[in-house]
Amino acid sequence: MKNKIKVYRAMHDLTQEDLARAIGVTRQTILAIEKGKYVPSLDLAFRISRHFKVNIEEVFSYDENTQADAGK
Amino acid sequence: MKKNIFYLIIGFVALLLLAVFWYSVENFTPLFSMVAFIAGVLVIYVAYRRVEDYIEDERSARITEKAALRTFQVFWVCFCTFSIMAVMNMLYMPRISREHWFDRQSLPVSLEIMSPKMIGFIQLGLLCLMIFLYVGFRFYYAKKYGEWETDEE
Repeated sequence: MKNKIKVYRAMHDLTQEDLARAIGVTRQTILAIEKGKYVPSLDLAFRISRHFKVNIEEVFSYDENTQADAGK
Repeated sequence: MKKNIFYLIIGFVALLLLAVFWYSVENFTPLFSMVAFIAGVLVIYVAYRRVEDYIEDERSARITEKAALRTFQVFWVCFCTFSIMAVMNMLYMPRISREHWFDRQSLPVSLEIMSPKMIGFIQLGLLCLMIFLYVGFRFYYAKKYGEWETDEE
C-alpha cells in the first residue's frame, strides 16, 4: 500500500505529532504508515483521508509488489 | 497516572510477590502466594486502567496480538509435547524390554523417565520461558511495524 500522507501533511503544514493527535494514534504509527512499515486498517485510512478532506484513493493506492510481503 | 508511575508500580508488585513467594516457601503456605499472585495481577490491571498518557492505537494492538498469537502457537506445541510424555510417564506405560522379547518369563519393566515433581518444575519452567518468548516476539513485531523508526522531524 502506497500513500501520500507526507505530501498531504506538507500541504496542510502538519507535523506527524499534529496529525497523530488529530486522529487519535501515536506519532510512531503515522511514521510507520508513511514509511510503509505498517498498513493501516480501512477505518484509520478513512480517518486520515477525511482529515485532509480528500477521497481515500487520493491518499492511499494499492501496490501489488508491497502487498506480497504484507502478510508475513 | 503517568506511564512511569505505572512501571514503578509493576516493579514494586513484582518485588512484593517475590517476598511473599519466599515467605510461602519458608512457611509452606502455598495458598498465601496464590492469593498474592491474583491480588498482584488485579493491582496491575487497575493501575493500567488509570494510565492517562498511554495511547493504544491499532498498530500497538496489532503488535500485541501478533506476539501473543505466535507465543501461543509455540507454547501449545511445546507444552502438549511435554505433557503427553508426562502423562505417559505418570501412567507407567510398561516397556517391553529386549530381555522380555527373548525370554517371555521376564516381566516388562516400567518406564519412568522423571518424577512427577520434576514434571511440575519443567512445566513451570516452560511457562516462564514463554514470558521471555513473548517479550522476544514483541520486540520482533515492534521492530517490524516501525516502533524505533526515526524520521527527519
